[in-house]
Amino acid sequence: MAEYEIFDPNDEFKNETKKGRGSGWWKNIIIVAIIVAIGIYMLTGVYQVGPSEVALVKTFGEYTSTTGPGIHFHLPVPFQSHVIVDVRTINKIEIGFRTTSDGRTPSYRSVNEEAEMITGDQNIISIEAVVQYKVNDPVAYAFNVIQGYDLVKSTAESVLREKVASSELEKVLTIERDKIAMETSQTIQEIMDSYNSGVQIENVYLQAVTPPAPVVPAFDDVNNARQDQQTFINEAQRYTNDVIPRAEGQAQRIINDAEAYAYQQVAKATGEAERFKALLEEYQNSEEVTKKRLILDSVQQMIENSKMQVISEKGDTLNFLNLSEIIGGEQQ
Amino acid sequence: MKNMTLWAVVIIVVFLGIFFALTSFYIVDQTQQAIVLRFGNIKSIRTEPGIYTKVPFVDNVEKFEKRLMIYDIPVERVITSDRRTILADTYAIWRIEDPQKFIETLRTVEVALTRIDDIVYSHARDVIGNYNFLEVLSTERPAILEEIKKRSSNSLKSFGIEVVEVRLKRTDLPKENTEAVYERMKSERYAMAAQLRAEGEKESQRMKAEADKQASIIVSEAEKEANIIRGTGEASAINIYSEAYSLDTDFYELQKITDIYKDSFKDSILVFPNDSPLLKYFYEVE
Repeated sequence: MAEYEIFDPNDEFKNETKKGRGSGWWKNIIIVAIIVAIGIYMLTGVYQVGPSEVALVKTFGEYTSTTGPGIHFHLPVPFQSHVIVDVRTINKIEIGFRTTSDGRTPSYRSVNEEAEMITGDQNIISIEAVVQYKVNDPVAYAFNVIQGYDLVKSTAESVLREKVASSELEKVLTIERDKIAMETSQTIQEIMDSYNSGVQIENVYLQAVTPPAPVVPAFDDVNNARQDQQTFINEAQRYTNDVIPRAEGQAQRIINDAEAYAYQQVAKATGEAERFKALLEEYQNSEEVTKKRLILDSVQQMIENSKMQVISEKGDTLNFLNLSEIIGGEQQ
Repeated sequence: MKNMTLWAVVIIVVFLGIFFALTSFYIVDQTQQAIVLRFGNIKSIRTEPGIYTKVPFVDNVEKFEKRLMIYDIPVERVITSDRRTILADTYAIWRIEDPQKFIETLRTVEVALTRIDDIVYSHARDVIGNYNFLEVLSTERPAILEEIKKRSSNSLKSFGIEVVEVRLKRTDLPKENTEAVYERMKSERYAMAAQLRAEGEKESQRMKAEADKQASIIVSEAEKEANIIRGTGEASAINIYSEAYSLDTDFYELQKITDIYKDSFKDSILVFPNDSPLLKYFYEVE
C-alpha cells in the first residue's frame, strides 16, 4: 500500500515535467526511488504474531528476546530476524491410522504396518494411538531440535512398541491398556527432556487395541465359545431346575401314599378290633346262643349269596352235572 | 551534468559499501555453526551465534546445522542369534559436534547420512546378532540400543558427528513369519474355543448327572421312608389285631370262620348232601 501512495505523486510529477518544467526531474525520481526502497527495506522488520504463538527475535543470529501476539517491529534484515513458534496449539500425532477428512464426520484410514506390534509373548496386536503434545519451551524447541514433529512421532512409535513388547497379548488387550498409555507418555517425556527439545507430552491415548484383522474371526470364535459354554451350563441348570422339583414331588407322593396306607391299615385294624371286642362282649353274655346264631347267620348269608343251591342224595350225584352249561346258560 | 556525475558517484559508493559489508561480515544463526575457509584451509570455527568479520573474496564461509537431527534409517533385515529374521526400523538422532572434522571428512550432510546409514546398520546387525529374538523384542532392548549407540558414536566420532541416540522404531517380522504367527494365534484361539465349549459340555453333563443323582436320591429316600411308614402302620395294625383277638381266641376263630362263610361263597354253587345238619329239620317236617 505504502509504495502505491508514494508512486501516485510521482506520476503527477512526470506529467508536470512533460509540460516543460525541464531540468531536475531525474533527481526527484531517484530520491523517490530511494525512499521507496528504504520503505520496502524497513518493511522486512515488521512481523505479526498470532494468538497462540510467540516470536523469538534474533539479533545478528543470536536469540535476544521473545515477543507475544500482535504486530511488532524489529530492525530489518540483516540486523534482526525472528522465528515464530506455536506454543498453545496441541499437536496431534496419529500412530496406526490417519485422519483422512476432518469436520463433522471425520473419517479414518488404518495404517496396518504402523499399527501392528509384537507383544512379549510373540503375538501380534494392532494398536491405534494418539499422542498429543505442545511446545512448552519455544527457545529450546526452535534452537535445539530440527523436525520436531518427526522427532516426537518416531520416539512415540518406538516407546509404544517397547512397552507393548514387554507385555502380553491378553494383558495389552485388557487390563494393561491404561498402564501402557501412561508409561508411554512418561517415557516419551523423559526422552524429549533428554534432547532438551522443549516439547511437553500432554497425553497418550490408546484408541483401538485389537487383534490383527486376519485373526479376528478366531478371537470372535473364542467369545462365541464363551457364550456357548454359558449356554450349555444354563441348559443344564434348566434341566436341574426341572428334574429336582419333579423328584421332590414324586417323593412327596410316595410318602403320602405310604402314610395313607399305614393310616388305612391302622384304621382298619382298629375298626376290626373294636368290632371284635363289641361282638365278644355280646358273645360272652350268652355264649352258646350267640355262637349258634353267628354260625346260622353266616350259613344263611352264605346260602343267600350263592347262585345255586343243590341238594344231593348222595355225594356222587354231582359228578353228572355239567357245570359249564349251568353257568353258561345263566349268562345267555 | 555535474549533478548527474555526483549522483552516480554517490550511488556507486553506496553500492560498494553494501557489497563490502556483505562480503566482509557474516552472521552465524543460533541454529548454525560456521567454518571460515581461506583457500581451502580452515581459518576459524564459529559455534556461537553473532556477527563476525572476514576478508572479502578471500575467506569463504561454510555453515552447518547445530541442532539435533533425526535420520530415519531404512528398514533392514537383521538376524538374531537364534536365526530369526526381523525387520529393524532404526533411526538415529545426531548432530554435528566438530565442524572441522565434519568438513574435512564429509563436506555435506548428504554424504554424512550415507555414512551414518552404513555405520549404524552395520553395528545394529552385529549387536542384534548377539541376542536372541525375545531379548531383542523386549528384555534386552535398552541394552542393545545403548550398545549400538556406543559403537556408532565411536565410529562416527572421527567424522565430527555425535550420535545422541539410536532407537528401534519398529521390530517387525518378515511377511512370511507374520503369516505363521497369525496361523499360530488362530490355532491357539480355536484351541481355546474348543476347550471352552468342551468345558461347557462337561459342566453341563456334570450338572445334569448331579441333578439325576439328586432326583434318584430324593425318590429312593422317599421310598425308604414310605416303606418304614407302611411297616409301622402294618405293625401297629398287627398289634391292634392281636391285642383284640387274644381276648378270646375261640371267638376270634368263630367270628373269622363265619365271616369267611358269609363272604366266600358268592355266586357259587352250594351242594348240600341229604344228611347235612342244615337240612336236619327238612326231613323232620316231612
